Amino acid sequence: MQQQNIWTKLIRVDRRILYLILFLNIAVFLMFPFKMPATITSPARGLYDAVDSLQPNDLVMISSNWSASTMAENQPQLEAIIKHLIRKGARFTLVSNEAQSRDLSKRIAVGVTQSSDNAEYHTYGQKWAHLGFVTDLIAAIRGMGSNLSEAVKQDVEGTPIDQLPVLQGAKSLKDYKMVIDVTPSGTLPYWISYRPPNLIVGYAPTSVMAAEGFTYLDSKQLVGMITGLKGAHEYEQLMGETGLGHKFINAISFSHVLILLFIGLGNLAMIMARRAQGEA
Amino acid sequence: MEWLNDFLPLSLERMGIWIGAICTVALYSILYRENPAYRLFEHLFIGLAAGYSLGPLVGDILYKYWYLPLTEGAWWWAFAVPFGMWLYFIYSEKYGWVSRIVIGVLIGASAGLFFQQFCSLYVPQIYASFKPIIPTGANEGLLASNAINNFIFIVVLLSVLTYFLFSFEQRGPVKRTAVLGRWMLMIALGAIFGNTLMARMALLVGRVYYLLHDWLMQI
Repeated sequence: MQQQNIWTKLIRVDRRILYLILFLNIAVFLMFPFKMPATITSPARGLYDAVDSLQPNDLVMISSNWSASTMAENQPQLEAIIKHLIRKGARFTLVSNEAQSRDLSKRIAVGVTQSSDNAEYHTYGQKWAHLGFVTDLIAAIRGMGSNLSEAVKQDVEGTPIDQLPVLQGAKSLKDYKMVIDVTPSGTLPYWISYRPPNLIVGYAPTSVMAAEGFTYLDSKQLVGMITGLKGAHEYEQLMGETGLGHKFINAISFSHVLILLFIGLGNLAMIMARRAQGEA
Repeated sequence: MEWLNDFLPLSLERMGIWIGAICTVALYSILYRENPAYRLFEHLFIGLAAGYSLGPLVGDILYKYWYLPLTEGAWWWAFAVPFGMWLYFIYSEKYGWVSRIVIGVLIGASAGLFFQQFCSLYVPQIYASFKPIIPTGANEGLLASNAINNFIFIVVLLSVLTYFLFSFEQRGPVKRTAVLGRWMLMIALGAIFGNTLMARMALLVGRVYYLLHDWLMQI
């Protein structure tokens, strides 16, 4: 009878207590961090290697299409990628298919470039620029593929595209080496379909969207992928950097352990309660 | 005391952080129970997001791609607005046919674009699904582990495709293959759900980090 009561109580535990335990678990692992090595997956290695093989002044397009709701996953990814591009001395431009991302991604790029040791990146427009917001990504990609300054007339600050030092010598997307799509939505197929063939594609999706990327990885339509926050953590580890991915990963990992524990306990409690009921 | 001075919303930056923290706590209050604060901030969020989108739409799209060319001599852009507005004839019983002209143009353009998209996306994937499972002269370097992986891939691919054969009744070996395909789909969906959980946890971690780091300044 005693055993039956324990299991029944466990089944009926108020879900708010579970939320509180989860919150405390996350808070503890954020407040007391420790270094946990990441297993580097081959898609993350693929993206890292592709960026690492860039030459100084190669042009990279970052398609940043996320909003505040997925900031926790997309911000660490974007920061890690920009840091790597700066380290390689590559030029980069950002473009956003999401209104909020225009300002969020610019703010992040300003933060990362300003804190970099490379002074070339401190002046906006010199080694990097933001091309602003585009509503129709298909039209934008096709337009940029034929004539960049016709398709994107001005950057986010209102400077005509052909007056930006970062884009000197670049007439269209054909002059870029790589595009990296940082996104929580289904924008990847547009880049794969409508980009110039010489442009290689990297992918930084939220974890929810990552499953979609594996088919493109398998067919070599993608050079690599970093999956959500875990991917950002792997990327930081490959670069030897400590960023947001490192700060968040323990809290994520141990919240997964906690949820597995909850599921296990919940199922055990249900089985035991049913067994006890059967015996009674 | 120094912490308290930094913590209080005494500067514009701190006020912004306080507003962010209040919004976060109010939206998570739904986890305790349904309450008016949650409803208020939910509507605020939706309204703000919709209003915010309007700014870039006017500044980055209408101004840059419509108004500027128009004022620089591309007068034909003036026809874009009335042509687009023909869509609203859909509400008229008598002139509804006018809207179909715009809809027809949109469907035609989309169909053409998606035909290109279909070919660019799926042809390389079909090509990539032809994987070697037996070492021959053409693939001498095929490792046993790769051959096993490729074999599993082909079994899964064929069984899942069989599951989607709905044109005739599935019997015997076809049915058994389809059942295997269904199991494979379930496993894949489970893996996708695992990723979904990771994404949701990341969002929660991001918000808790904001509260502890930006607002309470404890990290």
